[in-house]
Amino acid sequence: MAPSATTSSPPPPSALSQALMSSTATSDRQGYEHPAYLLHLAQTILHNLQYQHSWTSLQIHTCSSAMLPLPRPMISGLPPKRAYIHPDEQAEIIKAEHEAGTSIEQFAEREWVLPTSIGEKWSLKRFTGVFDALDVVPPTEDVDGEMEGEGEGGSSVGSKWRGANRQKRLLLSTLHDDSTVVYYIMHDGIVKPRQN
Amino acid sequence: MAESSDSVSEPLPISLVAGRYLLFDINVVTYLRRTHHICGTLIGSIPQIPQQNVFLGLPVELMPEEARLLVEKEAAYIVDDFAWHKERFNTFKGADRADYLESLRSEGFKARRAAEATSQNKKKNALAKQAVRKSREEALEGAAMKDPTDGGEAESPFDYDRPDSPAPSTVSISTNKPYAVTPTATYSTSSLPANPAQQPNPDTTSSYHLFAHLHSKDYFVMPGLRFGCDYNVYPGDPLRFHSHFAAVSYEWDEEIPMMDLIGGGRLGTRVKKAFLIGGKDLESKAQDGDRVRTFSIEWGGM
Repeated sequence: MAPSATTSSPPPPSALSQALMSSTATSDRQGYEHPAYLLHLAQTILHNLQYQHSWTSLQIHTCSSAMLPLPRPMISGLPPKRAYIHPDEQAEIIKAEHEAGTSIEQFAEREWVLPTSIGEKWSLKRFTGVFDALDVVPPTEDVDGEMEGEGEGGSSVGSKWRGANRQKRLLLSTLHDDSTVVYYIMHDGIVKPRQN
Repeated sequence: MAESSDSVSEPLPISLVAGRYLLFDINVVTYLRRTHHICGTLIGSIPQIPQQNVFLGLPVELMPEEARLLVEKEAAYIVDDFAWHKERFNTFKGADRADYLESLRSEGFKARRAAEATSQNKKKNALAKQAVRKSREEALEGAAMKDPTDGGEAESPFDYDRPDSPAPSTVSISTNKPYAVTPTATYSTSSLPANPAQQPNPDTTSSYHLFAHLHSKDYFVMPGLRFGCDYNVYPGDPLRFHSHFAAVSYEWDEEIPMMDLIGGGRLGTRVKKAFLIGGKDLESKAQDGDRVRTFSIEWGGM
C-alpha cells in the first residue's frame, strides 16, 4: 500500500478492463446499440468463457438473424467439449458404442449464452422474448475451420438431438459481484433431465 | 376388494370437508389413479396411533388443482358434505332410509364373510403346518411319545396375535350379525345431486395452468413440498418412476430473482431432476392448446 500511495497515477488496466475498453468500440458492428452496462456484462461473461472455460469462436450478437435487435447482447461460442447431451441421445450413443465395440467421438456444438447478473429479476415474459428472438443454432459468421461435426453428422447416431434438430436451448450465465460466473442449461419447453 | 375399480362410474363425487377435497372409496381412488393419473395424498392414520404417519390410509386428499381438473373434465363433481348433510339428514326417511340401512347391513355381512374366510384359511394353514411338523417329529423320534396338543399348540404363531376364542355358544349367536360398518358420509350415495354440473369449480391459484399443462402431457403431478417447489412431476406412476421435474409456476410478468433460478436449478440437478418454470402465456396468439410456456433448467456442469 505504501509505495502506491506516493504515486498519483492509477494502476495499469487489467486484462478484463482492456477487453471491455476495446469491445465497446467494436460491438456495434451489427448496427444496434445496447446500453453500455449490458455490453460490459456480455464482455465479462465472454472473458470468463474464453479464459476460464477455454471456449473458442466467441462472438457477441446484438441482432437476431432477422436483423431485429435482441433483448440484450447475446454470446455464442464453441465449448471445448459438448456442453449438453440429451439423455435419449446418450442412451442411443451407448447402445451404438456397445454394438460397434468402439467409442463414438463427440464434437462440440455452438451454444447460445445469455449473460445476466445476480441482482437482476427476470420473468417468463422476458425469457420468452429472448428465446423467441434466437435461432436454434447460433449463426457462424466466420467459418475458420470450426469442427462442428455437422458434415458427417447428418445421419449419425443421435443426430435427432443435434444441430437444427435439437430443442432450443441456451446457457444461462449469471455473474456475481465477486466475478464468479455460474452456468445453467436452459431449455425452451419440457426437457427431461440428464442422468448425471 | 372383490369389486375392482371397474365398478365405479363417472362422474364421481368428491367430498368437500372443511375446505379439503377427500375421497373415501378405495375403488374410486384406484380408478382415478389408473384412468386419470390423479394420485392425491393418503392422509388417514390409525385412530389410536395417530403419530404413526409413515403408512397412511384412506381417505385420500386431492389438491384443489386435482379436484378442479377432474371437475373440468366432467369426471367428478364436488359435494359439500356439511351443506348436504344439513339439507338431507332430517329428510332421510322411508324407503331411502331403509335402502341405506340395508346397504350398510349387506356391507357388514360382506365384511364378516371376508373376515371369516381369512380366519378359516389361517386355521387351515396352521393345522396343515402342525400336521407336517408332527409327522416330521414322528419320523425323527420313531413312535410319538408326546401329547399331540401340547407341542403343537404352544408353538403356533397364531396364539400370540389373537385372544382366546369366545365360548362356542356366543359364536353361534353372533354369526348371523353383520359387522358394524362406519359410513364415511351421512347420506347415501343414491341421494347425491342429480345435476352435479351446477357446482362451482374448485378455487385454485394461478399455478393451475401449469398443473393442467403438465397433466395434459401425461405426467403425474404430485405436491412439491419435498423439493421446495409447487409440483413434483413424474413421467409415470410415482410408485414406478422417479420424478423428472421440480416445477414452479410463475405469473407471466412475475419477477423471478436470479437466485431462485440458480437455487432451483442446483437443487434439481443434485436430485437428478430438472427445475421447471412455467406459466400462462398472456401474449400468445395461438388459438389451440393451453398457451402455457415452460422452461427447463439444469446445472451446466461448468
